[in-house]
Amino acid sequence: MSGVGVSTVAPAGRAAKPSRSAVLRYRAKIALREPTTLIGVLVALLFAYLIVVPILSLLLDAGRVQFGDERRIGEPAGSFTFYYVLRTLTSPVASDLFWKPLVNTFTISFSVIGISLVIGCILAWLLSRTDMFARRWFATALIVPYMLPAWTFALAWTTLFKNRSVGGQQGWMENLGFSPPDWLAYGQVPITLILALHYTPFVILLVGNALRRFDSQLEDSARILGAGPRVVAWQIILPLMLPSLMSAVILIFAKCLGEFGVAYVLGLPVKYDVLATSLYRSIGSRQTGVAAVLAGAIMLIGVISLMIDARLVREARRFVTVGSKGAMARRKSLGKWRLPATGFAATVFLISVGLPLLTLVLSTVMRVPANFAWSNFTLDYWIGTNLETVAMRSGVLLTPDLWRAAWNTLWIVGIASACSGLLGLLVGYVVVRTPVKPLSVFLRQVTFLPYLVPGIAFAAAYLSLFAVQRGPVPALYGTAAILMLALIADQMPYASRAGISAMMQLGRDPEEAAQIAGAGWFRRMTAIIIPIQKGALVTGVLLPFISGIKGLSLFVILAVPATDVLTTYSLRLIDYNYTQAANAVVLIIAGVAYFGTVLAQKVTKTNLADGLGS
Amino acid sequence: MPKITLRDADKSYGNGIINAVSDLNLDIEDGAFMCLLGPSGCGKTTTLRMIAGLENLTSGEIKVGERVVDNVATATFVPPERRDMGLVFQSYALWPHLTIERNTDFGLRLRNVPKAEREARVNAVMKTLGIEKYRDRYPTQLSGGQQQRVALARMLAVNPNVLLLDEPLSNLDARLRLEMRAELKRLHAEFKTTIVFVTHDQWEAMTLATSIAVMSEGRLQQVGSPNDIYDRPANRFVAEFVGSPPINIIELGAGSDLAMAARRYFSDHVPALGHAGSVGLRPEAISVSERAEDMPRGAFGVDATVTGVLPTGGSWILELRTAETTLFATTHIAPRLKDGSRARFWVAPDALHVFAADGTRLTQADDMLAAVARAQPHTTKKIA
Repeated sequence: MSGVGVSTVAPAGRAAKPSRSAVLRYRAKIALREPTTLIGVLVALLFAYLIVVPILSLLLDAGRVQFGDERRIGEPAGSFTFYYVLRTLTSPVASDLFWKPLVNTFTISFSVIGISLVIGCILAWLLSRTDMFARRWFATALIVPYMLPAWTFALAWTTLFKNRSVGGQQGWMENLGFSPPDWLAYGQVPITLILALHYTPFVILLVGNALRRFDSQLEDSARILGAGPRVVAWQIILPLMLPSLMSAVILIFAKCLGEFGVAYVLGLPVKYDVLATSLYRSIGSRQTGVAAVLAGAIMLIGVISLMIDARLVREARRFVTVGSKGAMARRKSLGKWRLPATGFAATVFLISVGLPLLTLVLSTVMRVPANFAWSNFTLDYWIGTNLETVAMRSGVLLTPDLWRAAWNTLWIVGIASACSGLLGLLVGYVVVRTPVKPLSVFLRQVTFLPYLVPGIAFAAAYLSLFAVQRGPVPALYGTAAILMLALIADQMPYASRAGISAMMQLGRDPEEAAQIAGAGWFRRMTAIIIPIQKGALVTGVLLPFISGIKGLSLFVILAVPATDVLTTYSLRLIDYNYTQAANAVVLIIAGVAYFGTVLAQKVTKTNLADGLGS
Repeated sequence: MPKITLRDADKSYGNGIINAVSDLNLDIEDGAFMCLLGPSGCGKTTTLRMIAGLENLTSGEIKVGERVVDNVATATFVPPERRDMGLVFQSYALWPHLTIERNTDFGLRLRNVPKAEREARVNAVMKTLGIEKYRDRYPTQLSGGQQQRVALARMLAVNPNVLLLDEPLSNLDARLRLEMRAELKRLHAEFKTTIVFVTHDQWEAMTLATSIAVMSEGRLQQVGSPNDIYDRPANRFVAEFVGSPPINIIELGAGSDLAMAARRYFSDHVPALGHAGSVGLRPEAISVSERAEDMPRGAFGVDATVTGVLPTGGSWILELRTAETTLFATTHIAPRLKDGSRARFWVAPDALHVFAADGTRLTQADDMLAAVARAQPHTTKKIA
């Protein structure tokens, strides 16, 4: 249709198209009119350095002769080699280095996924769609394992089941006269069980949320057409639940892939390795090249799993309807199953939270395990003085080491979290507001990259890059700075997602309204954006802080005694067999993480579940 | 108050893959109440945002008075905060962390207006819009209609040269919408601001605007007064977009009974229009004669059966079927016709809209058909 109007369409002759240089000049002017683009470029450079460069440097290490290996390989340091790849994949030690850990990692991951899906789906359904007793209470209680560090439970397990195979204080079972076999005390069985219980909350949260939002009209329509409950469940509910199930599966898989603490505590005594612990050992034994290959493999698996996830979710989302107004979950009456169902939830809670925590608490106040005589109880391990032990001569609360570690944790993780929160919001702002599209795409992707890289591989990357002086950057190994930088980078996926979604949710309108009203950039920032986003900023700082406190994999590689934090401190106590003290420290961490989470939810009036959509 | 001029304005996204606005030439006169009308995705909001400076051009120029605010060739771009305009967002975009009063005086504070004057102005604007009692509340504590008034007050407080409104009434219920329409008309008279208004609601456009610009797929279709747009649509798009129920279109090239009747009509009365592409009949221009011989001479008429009578409260929509085609007519007097009754339906010659094969209006047809009407003094345009 031609645009010729009857009346006053201006009759201007078509002006010549502006020249290419004029267009470029105009675009540059638009792009640089406000600091947004400049800030975006600076942030992009920062992340290129903090995220892309370490990963590249790590991958390069896998193909370069490392310092100290010149003799063995017969090439000068720095030249290109397949030696490490071959050593990891085909040499006689490859089986121990890579293949067995790989098989173990997959076995554990899939078992964990299977167990937590079954338990989690049942619980999610009970919590969101039935009239089980104390649903509200369970809804919070069953999420608690997620708020605590996973290896808390590993320690509880050793406290109970540790047998004679390993030195140091025996487990309760052993002391009660029953000697647990190795397969029960260490390795695959306990690791799988503990991780399954630890990740069940993911399933409960993701599937439960989806079930709650599920439009019951969809179910009703099927029923009216004559479908029985089974047909409804398999043909209506399950297909629509698939995206949430898939997210839960991939999330758990990614977490298992990078999981270090549990496998370290429970796998080491029987030489049961997963990829993460194998990587840790390679680093520990200064096999930088092999470590790089292992880290690369972990990253590759992470990338592949996320690509599968993206594809499946995209497929599945195509036909998912947006929850409509009819979304009102009706509760099913359980009838005579009401009590057994409640019993099931209570059992899961007891096994996954109650028992482990109780065990840990008791273990810190008992001299000899599993001796419940009154005289056996003591507070010495917490506040005692002049004890008879070799090194820990006073209770853990009176040890300066603890307070130093606590202080280190606080300020290192605190500063890193504050930076991540701010950077996340900044990334969100630039991504949403910059007129330069490629910048927005780059920032979005680069900040997501660490998500693909398990913490332990990321730490290895940092080690490889910052261990020595490079250009103007001094060797950072052993400083708090390297920990902070690694923490910031590691937390960016969550921080930037939070920032982007906060800015998306806010939309452009409030800022544009201020712009129309005559406010310049800085004015808009200080008077409109930051005050409105206060809540998001608090969340963006608090959540990384909590996950940083309980995080282990970054610290275990990058921390040195001078930068000891609570997690590495407790790990060292385990290594020295100060079981009670180690458990006490872990309890402190668990307490901080739990109350921090509760506080974060209170302050920001958010629910943990909302931040889990990733 | 300046006039706003858009010259050859283009806006494309993704390196020219998507053209939001193409070759837009539009003059918005000083003091006008101009409405940008079109279906969603037609580029009307983009046009408004380009005027405000929230979007920049891909090529072309925008002037406010003699001041060039955006020109790609000379790399001129005046940012929105220096254009001295007001914009009311569809979402209202009130700042949730500021009270109503602080929302309203935000612009005045930015301009360092002395306190006494600022308060006086804020009070006056709040009073005009009836929101003074909410001054200490926060936006979330207000209803949609009240928020809408605050969004207006916030912009009016700084007395902008131009007030831009982006579908401001679309989130209100029917009654409030009516109230706000009257309010906007009153404000326009009172503040004498140039208002540019975006809507997809033709009634809103018809009732409010002094001038309407109809857009489709990024291109301007027609600019004119509401009556112009309705009575002399420049092309098929405008004719079909404006009016409810929509205009009845007869494709003259088609083989239907109506098309043949229309071709016969033109060859009898205005042979010069034999090459026309289509003809449009507005539903309310269709009259009825129970006996065919009562139809005025010179009118275009067909026999049809009433297949549906739909009351709309005060008026009726009739569904008519000829042997092969369905037509819609509206009437304001209770139809004597029942379902299934047959009658002659006709349209006065000067109420016919004739379009060329490419969809543009054949303006010469209007004069020819007017001449036919004049030759038949009893044929009046509208009987209902």
